Amino acid sequence: MSLLSLVDVEFKKIRRSKILLILAVAAVILWIPSILNAKMNFGMQAEGISPENNFFIQGFLGMAWFMFPASMVVGTVLLSQTERANKGILKMLALPISTAKLCTAKFVVLLTLAAAQIFMITGMYYISAAISSGTQNYCFILPPLFVLKEISLIFLSAIPMIAFFWMLSVCIQTPIFSIGVGLASIVPSVLIINTKVWFAYPMAYPFFVITSEYGKLAENMDTAQIELIPWIPVAVTITIICLGISCLRFGQAERR
Amino acid sequence: MSVSLECKKVKRTGFLPVFFCGGILAAAFPAINMAVRSEMYLNLPDNPIQILLGANWQIMAMLNVLLIVIGSCLLYHTEYADNAMQKMKSLPIRESTIFLGKAVLTIFMSFFVLAIEAGAITLCSHHWFEIGSSFFSELGNHFGYSFLLLLPCIILSLLISEACKNMWVSLGIGVVCVFTATMLPTTNFTLSLFPFAMPFQVFASADVAQSIHYIYGVLAELATLALAQLIFVKVRRSFE
Repeated sequence: MSLLSLVDVEFKKIRRSKILLILAVAAVILWIPSILNAKMNFGMQAEGISPENNFFIQGFLGMAWFMFPASMVVGTVLLSQTERANKGILKMLALPISTAKLCTAKFVVLLTLAAAQIFMITGMYYISAAISSGTQNYCFILPPLFVLKEISLIFLSAIPMIAFFWMLSVCIQTPIFSIGVGLASIVPSVLIINTKVWFAYPMAYPFFVITSEYGKLAENMDTAQIELIPWIPVAVTITIICLGISCLRFGQAERR
Repeated sequence: MSVSLECKKVKRTGFLPVFFCGGILAAAFPAINMAVRSEMYLNLPDNPIQILLGANWQIMAMLNVLLIVIGSCLLYHTEYADNAMQKMKSLPIRESTIFLGKAVLTIFMSFFVLAIEAGAITLCSHHWFEIGSSFFSELGNHFGYSFLLLLPCIILSLLISEACKNMWVSLGIGVVCVFTATMLPTTNFTLSLFPFAMPFQVFASADVAQSIHYIYGVLAELATLALAQLIFVKVRRSFE
């Protein structure tokens, strides 16, 4: 079976899982405070950021720090638990399919969920920016190309993090441990981005990227900027190691 | 009887180690924070507990709430995963009794987590500040208050987990609720009565009236949630 048809099968499996609904609710809740507090965007002279940029960045900061990583943990739970319920995974493993391919197909689905959530948040951003523009008589809507650049940056920087979460859920059979480690690893990312070794901690990448964008957009603020040289090699290595381990370990516990 | 049964059920699920490790992690936060940047806190005018909790409670409370969400998801996941719930329903036990057993277990474990955190606060105060005469009564006040404010969160997340048969749905709702709680302003009284937002409050010894309002809020929410649980079980039973 080709990888593409496997991915197709995986999508069929999660069709009735209501995961998109949960992701959508999170996206809606993210922007409600921004609409209600739209007036506060005009009081940011100290940072030197324009109101429309501030509106955009504040929302995405809220997303990148907790909601997006936590939703990805929920996604890994979904992918690993749907098949365990009625021993579906045993039937999948009995088929003549390479387990590494199966694992990659599931990872692709997880990446698609991440992309779907980012798109939902962007869509909600445009809706809420339009509403706020109406209530404040000021245009909050940013050009689509700029927004597209930012969201693709977030998505790319999230790939190592998602690979790490996927490795956790494949390697740790007890669901409570994989969820617990995943969620607990998100919390310290606020502290990690202020240290010099942020590039060694994949859970902090999306948050770091957005904070450094904040520093770029705000004239009077100094946030740490992305240094591509230690970051890209480390991130690629982490992704490859995590994916390699999860492909190797996938289905091992069931085949004992 | 029901509680001891619940204890047996969670024996091999990793429930107890997760609460233990989570408590240690949350307790490590003030210690690391003080070790790394103690000069920021040493010269503040407040008393040690207020300084330590003011600097670290947001993250500690977040860990507590996440622990509760994960724990309650797991408690009901073990029932729903292999249809154990159907067998439980065929026994002469009421579903509310099962719920109560799980609630007592979670409440006890959160008490344990808070005790670890209180221990950490005591050690930090002893190491970096001085322990005054009224230290322990104040510590008791703070953590007793935090414990009370955790109760509605425990009951609500158990109720969510009971309502959803799939673990990712209950976990997803829990995560969204925690996220909402972090977005709500803690200064607004009505909004911070949201059960997931309440644990982020810190006991304010200067403003006892406000704290008493929160305690009334806790009692009202507990009564509402208990009633909701009873009705929910009855209604679901009649549709199955």
